Amino acid sequence: MTTLPVAGAREVRAHARRLTLRHPRELAVAVALHLAASAVALAGPRLLGDLVDEAGRGIDRVDRITLVIVALVVTQAILVRSAMYASAKLGEKVLAELREEFVDTVVSLPLAVVERAGTGDLVTRTTRDVDVLSRSVRMAVPDTLTAAMTILLTMGALVLVGPLMVLPCLVAVPVLWAATRWYLARARDGYLRQSAAYADLTDGLAETVDGARTVEALELAGRRFDRVNRDIARSYATERYTLHLRTVYLPICDTAYVLPVVTTLIFGGLLYIDGRVSLAAVTAATLYVQQLLDPVDRLLYWMDDLQIGGASLARILGVGRKAAGTGTGGAPQPACTGGEAQDIAVKSVSYSYREGHDVLHKVDLDIRRGERLAVVGPSGAGKSTLGRLIAGIHEPREGVVTLGGTPLTEVPLGALRREIALVTQDQHVFQGTLRDNLTMADPHAGDAELEAALRAVDAWEWAGELGLDTEVGPGRAELSPSQSQQLALARLILVDPHTLVLDEATSQMSPVAARRLERSLAAVMEGRTVIAIAHRLHTAHDADRVVVMAGGRVGEVGTHDELVARGGIYAGLWNSWHGGQDAD
Amino acid sequence: MRKFPDPGPVRLDHGSAGRYLAGLVKEHRRALLAGVVFGVACMLAQALVPAAIGRAIDLGMIARDRSGLLLWGGVVLGLAIVQAVTGILRDRNALSASLGAGYQTMQLVTGQASRLGATLGRRVTTGEVVGVGTADIASIGGALETTARGSGAVVSIVAVAVIMVSTSWRLGLAVLIGVPLMTWLIALLIRPLHGRQERLRDQQGELASRAVDIVGGLRVLRGIGGEDAFAARYRAESQRVRHAGVEVARVEVLLSAAQVLLPGLLVAFVVWLGAHAVLDQRISPGQLVAFYGYTVFLAGPIGWLTDAVDRITKGFVAARRVTRMLALEPEIVSGPLPPGSLSSPAPLTDAVTGLVVPPGRFTAVACAEAGEAAALADRLGRYTDSGAAYGDIPLRDLPLTEVRRSILVVGPEGRFFTGPLRAELDPRDTSADGGGDRPELAEALWAAAAGDIVDALPDGLDTVLVQAGRELSGGQHQRLRLVRALMANPDVLVAVEPASAVDAHTEDTIAARLARARAGRTTVVLTTSPIVLSRADRVVLVAGGRVAAEGTHAGLLGDTRYRHLVTRETS
Repeated sequence: MTTLPVAGAREVRAHARRLTLRHPRELAVAVALHLAASAVALAGPRLLGDLVDEAGRGIDRVDRITLVIVALVVTQAILVRSAMYASAKLGEKVLAELREEFVDTVVSLPLAVVERAGTGDLVTRTTRDVDVLSRSVRMAVPDTLTAAMTILLTMGALVLVGPLMVLPCLVAVPVLWAATRWYLARARDGYLRQSAAYADLTDGLAETVDGARTVEALELAGRRFDRVNRDIARSYATERYTLHLRTVYLPICDTAYVLPVVTTLIFGGLLYIDGRVSLAAVTAATLYVQQLLDPVDRLLYWMDDLQIGGASLARILGVGRKAAGTGTGGAPQPACTGGEAQDIAVKSVSYSYREGHDVLHKVDLDIRRGERLAVVGPSGAGKSTLGRLIAGIHEPREGVVTLGGTPLTEVPLGALRREIALVTQDQHVFQGTLRDNLTMADPHAGDAELEAALRAVDAWEWAGELGLDTEVGPGRAELSPSQSQQLALARLILVDPHTLVLDEATSQMSPVAARRLERSLAAVMEGRTVIAIAHRLHTAHDADRVVVMAGGRVGEVGTHDELVARGGIYAGLWNSWHGGQDAD
Repeated sequence: MRKFPDPGPVRLDHGSAGRYLAGLVKEHRRALLAGVVFGVACMLAQALVPAAIGRAIDLGMIARDRSGLLLWGGVVLGLAIVQAVTGILRDRNALSASLGAGYQTMQLVTGQASRLGATLGRRVTTGEVVGVGTADIASIGGALETTARGSGAVVSIVAVAVIMVSTSWRLGLAVLIGVPLMTWLIALLIRPLHGRQERLRDQQGELASRAVDIVGGLRVLRGIGGEDAFAARYRAESQRVRHAGVEVARVEVLLSAAQVLLPGLLVAFVVWLGAHAVLDQRISPGQLVAFYGYTVFLAGPIGWLTDAVDRITKGFVAARRVTRMLALEPEIVSGPLPPGSLSSPAPLTDAVTGLVVPPGRFTAVACAEAGEAAALADRLGRYTDSGAAYGDIPLRDLPLTEVRRSILVVGPEGRFFTGPLRAELDPRDTSADGGGDRPELAEALWAAAAGDIVDALPDGLDTVLVQAGRELSGGQHQRLRLVRALMANPDVLVAVEPASAVDAHTEDTIAARLARARAGRTTVVLTTSPIVLSRADRVVLVAGGRVAAEGTHAGLLGDTRYRHLVTRETS
């Protein structure tokens, strides 16, 4: 399966930097608080060193030092609370921005991309990757910062205790450096593969759930189980690989960061025995080095999460790479208002869903304003594809589709919608109220307009009964396919474009209902250019002109009577349709 | 490590979240036990480090004994190595259990979705189930995983307490009372967190559901507009989730502060007591440093312990959602009769309309009212319970698998799955590779006039259908569904508008070939297309919820209601 792209490491770093710096004030406050909390935590060992050294000098001193320690602990707790709250608030803010920008990106994706990559991948990116990223942003990033700051501050404290005492710490540096390099070189790809395998797992479940009725009807439970098992096997293999990486890396780190404690103790102890440093200095240094253990551990612990978070961010940003969608480019064009500006020309257009497999071959077609054009032809002839090209949803691989002389690819999407709208045979009822499902087409429509639109498509009877504010969609009030189709047509009325592309928009309805609907629609279609893609030939019969498509090419163009008289493909179809009725 | 996936779904009691988790624990007891053993060893090695450092100070430095210093320094290093090795062994075992639990849950949820079948869509949204497959299995895994570190934490706390008590009972007692007190106070803080986290999780699920909805309706959004309105609604909900997240964080940070404050106060108290003990010369300076080390160290295991409580809490929340899904029961249940009750061909009857479908014939039913065809198909295929009967046996008395195998309803709700087309078209082919290439497939493709679809695909029948065949047009879908139905070769085929999305010419071809392909078998087509109706042996008109007329297409054209329904004439 073609998957959506994943952003490169450089891109992820650049974006993370921009993200970090987007709210400088909040970030500065959070960092300052974390810094203060870390600094306060450093006073403990120093005071304890003093206690050990001065234990012989009297109860007063001991009590005083203890009180100072208590005061410091309370201060530290307050600082930690404020610091974490500040970073959590900032994290939630950044996260909300991230996922909202992501959805903004998703809704501007070219359709062809979404259909080929599969919704499972997109769903995983919107759910799990956003989840993982939330853990990174809320916990890993601030904690890594704190840990890094603590390490620096502790090293500073060590220098204050005795500059010589810093040396033992350096023992661990080459080991950690080499091990971390080895690990990071492999980890990113490993975790990306892990996420991708997980996406397949989710994808499989989504398919099973979506097609549960088919699974029951055809007893496909066994196959679905095989699919989940295959996905699990793949996911498990990727998990084992990253586990292998950790198995090599983590024990080396664990040993490496205790080394400084041991060397400080032995090195400092020997210096003390030689009388070159005080007991207090060695004690404080040992405790400081031991205190380093925790931030270094945290740093490395989060390194894992940051890697996974980075992988998720790469997947989230990767979607943006495909987002430069059809028709979004170019300078805003003056709104086309009428006359020739509404003529549509398809010039030598080819299109393919897969490279090397054109479904349209050099199609030429002129559509005049106000014309009623029917596109007919066998299934798979490229009718729907042509419809999508005319509506500007797909971009021609070759050739151009123009509106009033301007290529559609240069018309901003928002403007294009008010000119040309498409209703397809696949319908989708969105989660939300009936009103939400309609106002998406016209955010300013009031109750009266909504009712008028529903009446025009003959849907007011059931919609009025249901109520505009009833929740519809999966799991709520379920609409029948024909009701969904009426809803789609009502949306179209609300958009009010001068050109309509109806892609078998009434195919899900019974002939009786379709007939009633078509009568109501006739009033709506009045004065607009209508391109009706249909297999029911009566649509063609009523049209001004008929385009017959076959094998991705325009076979015949003309009025119904002309084409019937010509005795070509269309005449054959018409006779088959009409002949079937056995009566006239 | 154990190998995954298991060949079959594991049997787990899903009566409650607790029992479900207990079942998983039992299932992974070996890995969990190993994880606990290594977790304990790891934490103990870590717990002994302060004692070894204390010895190095007392026996090495203060005694000015170089070899003592080196010996105890070496012990510290040895403990570090033990800790490193046992640490990764702990993690490996814990991960094995965690992944295993996740995968097994995934298998169960997949199995349950298949078992619920048509019921599923009426009870839960796709987003909810996908939520189970993503976030919830991670939470359940996390709960199991945490046992290794959690139990290591408990044991090391006990070990440190024992060492402390044997060194100084006063200091030891202070720690022994202090630590449980601390844990209890922290647990008090966690309690309000529980409910908030659950609510947050639900809101996040809703948000994810909305994102899934947007992805699913992207085609429509691109055609009609409304992306902005939708992104805006998502944004509004995202902001609600954000504020809920901040509210949860408000409680969470209190917990973090307590994790600093309580151990810190305990350390201060212990050090104060210890310093006095040094003054009284009851303990050595090295032991004081060790005590400091213990109490600082204790913040670690206590952190793990509270983390474990937190993760187990989250695991329960997730397990509750999983068990809720697993507890759903199909609305249609198997009848009491033994398998094999449905044998010889018999007429299929619908009690509501009075329709009788004779065996071995091609019957077409034209329904006058919108929605009647779908309802009738649901009754005949027993997707809803009714008085429908096969011969004189009511369908609801028959074993459900037998009904499904004998009566196949093919309609617009049929889906394809990602996979090679050859296997997708042959649901009954049980050979593992699905490459059996049965001769019937060519016949079925011919009958459904679907050969050109396959020819146009890059790898023919071996082409992998992406995303449920989204790339195919409505007419192509319809024909491939028919191919699949013919390959399933049921005793009774109920087809709802099988060729409504293809052109007239192809429709006629399909109707003629369908009749031939199903010769001698029972076929019911619910349609109002004159082309298909004219090919049927017998045509039934259902109007006003009852059978209104029967005959042939040509004969029935004399009936005004029928003519009005199936032709485009308006009177």
